[in-house]
Amino acid sequence: MLKKFYIILLSVLSLFFSGCHEDPEYKNTLMGNYDALADIIDTHYCFFADKDINWKEKVEKYRQEITEETSVLDLFFICSQLLDELKDGHVNLSSRFSTSYYRNWWSDYPQDFNQRTLEEYYLDFNWLSTNGIMYKQLPGEIAYMYYPSFSYTISDSSLDYILAIMANSRGLIIDIRDNGGGELTNINTLVGRFIEEKIIGGYIMHKTGPAHDDFSEPYPMEYKPAAEGRVKWNGDVVVLTNRSCFSAANNFVAVMKSLPKVRIVGAKTGGGGGLPFTSEIPVGWSVRFSACPILDSEGHIIENGIDPSPGCEVHSTEEELAKGKDAILDFAIDLLKDNPLPFPEDRPEDE
Amino acid sequence: MMKKKTKKKATAIPFKGFLQVFFLMTSLAGFSQEILEPSSRPVTGYYNLGIGRTSVKATYLSPLTYTGPEISLTGSWSKAMPFNPENAVMEFDANASFCNLLNPAQTARMVGLYAGFSWDMAWRKRLPFDFQITAGGGADIKGGAYYLLRNSNNPVQALANISLTVVGSASKHFILGKLPVLITDRVKIPSLGVFFCPQYGETYYEIYLGNHKGLAHTGWWGNNFCIDNLLSVTLDFGRTALSLGYRFEAYTQWANNLNTKIFTNSFVIGVVPGGIGLKKPIRKTQEQVIYSLY
Repeated sequence: MLKKFYIILLSVLSLFFSGCHEDPEYKNTLMGNYDALADIIDTHYCFFADKDINWKEKVEKYRQEITEETSVLDLFFICSQLLDELKDGHVNLSSRFSTSYYRNWWSDYPQDFNQRTLEEYYLDFNWLSTNGIMYKQLPGEIAYMYYPSFSYTISDSSLDYILAIMANSRGLIIDIRDNGGGELTNINTLVGRFIEEKIIGGYIMHKTGPAHDDFSEPYPMEYKPAAEGRVKWNGDVVVLTNRSCFSAANNFVAVMKSLPKVRIVGAKTGGGGGLPFTSEIPVGWSVRFSACPILDSEGHIIENGIDPSPGCEVHSTEEELAKGKDAILDFAIDLLKDNPLPFPEDRPEDE
Repeated sequence: MMKKKTKKKATAIPFKGFLQVFFLMTSLAGFSQEILEPSSRPVTGYYNLGIGRTSVKATYLSPLTYTGPEISLTGSWSKAMPFNPENAVMEFDANASFCNLLNPAQTARMVGLYAGFSWDMAWRKRLPFDFQITAGGGADIKGGAYYLLRNSNNPVQALANISLTVVGSASKHFILGKLPVLITDRVKIPSLGVFFCPQYGETYYEIYLGNHKGLAHTGWWGNNFCIDNLLSVTLDFGRTALSLGYRFEAYTQWANNLNTKIFTNSFVIGVVPGGIGLKKPIRKTQEQVIYSLY
């Protein structure tokens, strides 16, 4: 009888403590911090398979550099080098003295853009601006808007004004060169002006567990047309890109490329097709990394960038830009210049 | 004459009946306990302020344990039940807490806000030497969030939990000098329920887009073990009572390969307006008063 009682008691106690799952504890030592960083990336980073990275091998390689003489500053640089192996602009290690950043995703490529050239030779230092967007109708009735960052929240009413003011144009150029990303919700605001019905502009996935291939099913990212009464754009659209289009800007290009009246002109974008998560290691440094892959409407990952539309890859050399010629913008103007005006009767007489 | 008398009687009876009904209604409304029940069952309300320290490990946010102060407010209202006032007691609790936590290196801050409501009914047994035990069950609902300020797309661990609870208590009252004292240990353990947990690497943006798969989980002691234990000493001054105590709360959750552990130790001070009835007031009536606490 007593034996039965103990068995029942132990069973009940085991139930109590089975809710307490133990996780690895990391010490605030050189190796403790290094292991914590390696494990966080190992269990959460989402592009190991797509980039064919042998993470364990990389971890062991840099572990050899940690000795008893290694300073905290040295540890930061060793950890940064390890993270650079991911070749991902969304990966940062942040301490109070520095933030690591993998720059080669854009520094190894031509810039293809000079804002001074744009402002001086194309906008004549005279443009309208709202919500961070610079806009102007260029000669030849080409509507032009420059959106430098998706961190600037676009309001629907401001977008109404922008599109209404330039409505009588042969086409719209949306220049997002050097746009490093920001809020994904701004993509919905913009895309909604160019579609008449709901579309699936891409998919999002997330990790479901620590293994490198633990992923959820792709979940569709729907984009809805702007609300009734908002100003829509039914004509041709050209999106200008360079290598420094990253993250939300990269995602915007992927969605716009799937629309029929849109062409992507310029250089391949820089990627950044994974929504980043943040974690930290015992010394207090935070680490940011790609955690949720975003796919385009055809189910391809966009981490490695989006190519321009066929026949629309254009580069602007430094020499040309210095002389006031923006080859990418010129190419876009040429694409649109022969389009008819939507309201020809409203065209000014002097033109 | 007979006819007249009969007529007078016919008008008098309804008036008398009306008066009877009126007095009966009046007495039911105003003095229901005295007339319909052999006893009165006052509501005992505790209002507690808790100040303590909490530790939070939520692996959705960070693998590190955050610690810091927590402040909580709790209200508890209990009453003996009419169908069996000696042995059945009902209690309703409402609580809210706020914590402000730092990581071990003190380089990042997490803030938490939590609220909960619970209702339970317990059967009590009075034992010799002024001991009393209760055991019962009820329902509990909790909700809150822990916000790690520096995180990007995983800034919040939202917690939501609805469960059936097991409650129990043991108490003893005695006289300390001339002061009646009630010492109580009360335990509440959620058992079966439902709780929310984001997927391992899922952003709230994806949840906002509409992907709600795998967010709700059936909770039991194997994946969602929680306990709320309050050890208190209540000093009854008659018109009011003072309660001092120590509370230990544990919330653990394991789902979607994510681990959440929240432990709180706090000192509790509270008041009970009207007292708890140990120091008996001089009453005009001889009614039996049945309190819920002892």
